[in-house]
Amino acid sequence: MVRATGLVKKFGDFIAVDGISFAVQRGETFGMLGPNGAGKTSTLRMMSGLSPVTSGQLEIDGIDATANPRSIRDVIGVVSQHDGLDPDISVRDNLTIYGFYFGLDRKMAARRADEVLGFFDLRSRGGDSVDDLSGGMRRRLTIARAFVSRPRLVVLDEPTTGLDPSSRNRVWEQLAVLKNSGVTVVMSTHYMEEATILCDRLVIMDEGRILGAGTPEELIRERAGADVAQVRPEAGQRDSVHHQLKETDYEFAEIGAIFTVRASNGTRADLTKISGARVSFRPPNLEDVFLSLTGRGLRDE
Amino acid sequence: MNESLAEHRTTGKVDFRMRGVVGVWLRHYTAFKGGWMVEMTGIILEPVFILAAVAFGIGKLVGDVEIRDGGVGYAVFVAPGIVVGNAMWHALFECSWGAYRRLQTNRIYDSILAAPVSMRELALGEVAWGATRALMTTAAVLAFATVMGLVESPWAVGILGIGLLTGFMFGGFGLIAAAVAPSTHMLTLVFTMVGTPLFFFSGTFFPISTLPSWVQPIAWALPLTHPVRIARALSTGDLHMGLLWSLLYLIVAALVFYPIATRLLRRRLLV
Repeated sequence: MVRATGLVKKFGDFIAVDGISFAVQRGETFGMLGPNGAGKTSTLRMMSGLSPVTSGQLEIDGIDATANPRSIRDVIGVVSQHDGLDPDISVRDNLTIYGFYFGLDRKMAARRADEVLGFFDLRSRGGDSVDDLSGGMRRRLTIARAFVSRPRLVVLDEPTTGLDPSSRNRVWEQLAVLKNSGVTVVMSTHYMEEATILCDRLVIMDEGRILGAGTPEELIRERAGADVAQVRPEAGQRDSVHHQLKETDYEFAEIGAIFTVRASNGTRADLTKISGARVSFRPPNLEDVFLSLTGRGLRDE
Repeated sequence: MNESLAEHRTTGKVDFRMRGVVGVWLRHYTAFKGGWMVEMTGIILEPVFILAAVAFGIGKLVGDVEIRDGGVGYAVFVAPGIVVGNAMWHALFECSWGAYRRLQTNRIYDSILAAPVSMRELALGEVAWGATRALMTTAAVLAFATVMGLVESPWAVGILGIGLLTGFMFGGFGLIAAAVAPSTHMLTLVFTMVGTPLFFFSGTFFPISTLPSWVQPIAWALPLTHPVRIARALSTGDLHMGLLWSLLYLIVAALVFYPIATRLLRRRLLV
């Protein structure tokens, strides 16, 4: 469905996307996980035909995206980070007018608007102004708008950033249902839970490059070890704990006030010997994958 | 900047869809319909006040004004200028202030461009709506002027077309301002530095011949001068071939501004 080869995006001298290559299969949900500034938004904007490709190849549904950005916009739905909803017209008109842009006649646009309003639990709000919606509803309306045209590919840029946990869960549920309907989804996120729950495959990005690719399980198995230990120093013990950790041979990183240690089978015994700290163990996750690839946490700036 | 602006390649002769333009116009019409009572009141009242003040007050103090074929009453002289001047205001406001709000504050352009609408179609839809607003105000104020007896010739119906073209010209100009303005503060300069002087010095309230001789060529170059000149001739029935130059100026300006706006908007948004 999507094939990028050596894709580059420059803004002046700044390289936002540094020659990345990836492929997305039809029907899968593909994620880009990385911190702010990793190049995710630039990549998605190029895929949406909204940003010219500096160099490299980008093919979407068999169309050369570098030459035909409009033909691409015919077949994809875009959810950008800022909703871009229209406060001057009603919630429902936001959808019908959008359908009209895609070539639906007014009757069909009205029908599709009702369908997506129903799916996203917004039917009762159709006549309201966008300004009267909560953050979660606005987000759902933005996603609904992307589905009005029955796109073959939907591009979501950080679909749940800024939402409270319950709104986030609701968006996840709805995206999971849509995913089962067979549409291809490409999404960016900096939430590892989101990537784990929704994505069939993902790439981990940092500073415009892809550092790792695979299913969430593969990435975790290959890059994060069997177990992760969190070593939390007691008050005033940070330096001592740091020193003790250095004397072991384990890979570790300090994030916030906690040392995260990549552990393997024999580690438990060694780590519990460390004094002046509380040690706990948990299963590894994508955050640990990112850590092992970059030496930094996902939310570090 | 980047010469390979992808959007640029697709919006040549082959890839133009009227649907994009109509869609944008429809969006504006839908928004207008939602609050048309308030909007129409604003559209009509201000020029009505000015016209009334001129007809009942100022016009009585000022004598007749000499035009090509003799003298006309001051109110008759001023009415077509106010009609067309208001067409300018409305198109300018809609396509600079309104467009900037859509572009920057609400980021609606980003959404429209994510649909299969090209920048050229978006810009044309904006300008077409600005021209529609100009036509509405032209019709309303012209009707009022007619009722007040300030219109002397049936040719005045043609002023509707002049109002539409004026709207196209200043819609394009307003959109250029919106595309380059870094903030709303800068955008207000369009009204104070462009709108106001044009409204007063384009032969609207007094003949250009009363200006100092060195200023007259400048006044003749101003874009509002020409629609005002044609509208006045249509209103008084004083038609002559020289007006064709003004019409040519108007048509060329209407066609020149919006492609520049398209280009500037691309540079701002499609990066």
